[in-house]
Amino acid sequence: MAEPVPADVADIAETDFADLVRRFQSMVFSIAVHFLAERQAAEELAQDVFLQLHANLATLKSEEHVKFWLRKVTAHRCIDYKRRRKLPQVSLDDVPEPAAPMQPGDPFLARKLRQLVASLPEKPRLIVILRYQEDLTAADIAETLAMPVATVKSHLQRSLAMLREKVTRATGEVIL
Amino acid sequence: MKPTEDESKNAALKHALQRQAAPDGFTERVMLKLEKQRLEALSLAKSSPVPRDSLMAFFTRPLARWAAAAALAAAMIAGIAGGIHVQNVRRERAQGEAAKQRLMLALRIAGSKLQLARSKVNQIGASPMNANQPRADQTEN
Repeated sequence: MAEPVPADVADIAETDFADLVRRFQSMVFSIAVHFLAERQAAEELAQDVFLQLHANLATLKSEEHVKFWLRKVTAHRCIDYKRRRKLPQVSLDDVPEPAAPMQPGDPFLARKLRQLVASLPEKPRLIVILRYQEDLTAADIAETLAMPVATVKSHLQRSLAMLREKVTRATGEVIL
Repeated sequence: MKPTEDESKNAALKHALQRQAAPDGFTERVMLKLEKQRLEALSLAKSSPVPRDSLMAFFTRPLARWAAAAALAAAMIAGIAGGIHVQNVRRERAQGEAAKQRLMLALRIAGSKLQLARSKVNQIGASPMNANQPRADQTEN
């Protein structure tokens, strides 16, 4: 069971900061790894996010605020990292199609979907990750990424349509 | 009951994008980096004990600081005075050079006028009225 976070996170000691890292490391690392599709790079990025969190603790007032701040900073760092490194962008059409029909819980389908998500453009990719990994609403995503709700919704619809088309073409049945 | 299309869609994507555990030792590595940062900041602070951006720090320095400031001010004044002197010398030299050029031009003009006058005189001396008079060597024969 998770330990309670102090009401004012700015007051926490070093040992408590380690607990804070443990509490949110999976969230931060997962956003990064789903976005970058590189475990090593994702870990480095996630570590830097927590170092930045430590430097900014005094400005954060609650656990919810920390969570929101971590998502926002991770999202922006992911985009910065991608632009700085100019990682090769895999086109949606270049992702090989699955050979056999798949079901929603299928690990092969899951891997294929992660590849397809990683091939989306930067902003739509982040939106899909925040929507399905973090279970955020369009309004929450809009606030996190500082963009209009309508833009988030339209990115989401287009991304889902692209993913659906690719998966349906391969499996012959509607999964997405 | 068969799930709806929307439920299937959400389930497949949620399954694919579910959170993954961070690598083992992640927290320890973050804390290690934090400690390293802190040590670097400490060594940086030790290498410059007096904050250079503080105005008060300047006034609490020893007398040598004032002497250095005075020497700098004196050097600046000397530099400015020297610059003005050099500028004056250059201006006087330029004025002298211009006067010399004007004198040379006047001399050239006077010389050419003199030359013109001499050639006029020679022309008058060689006119036909003077040519009818017998030359000294012809009258002797």
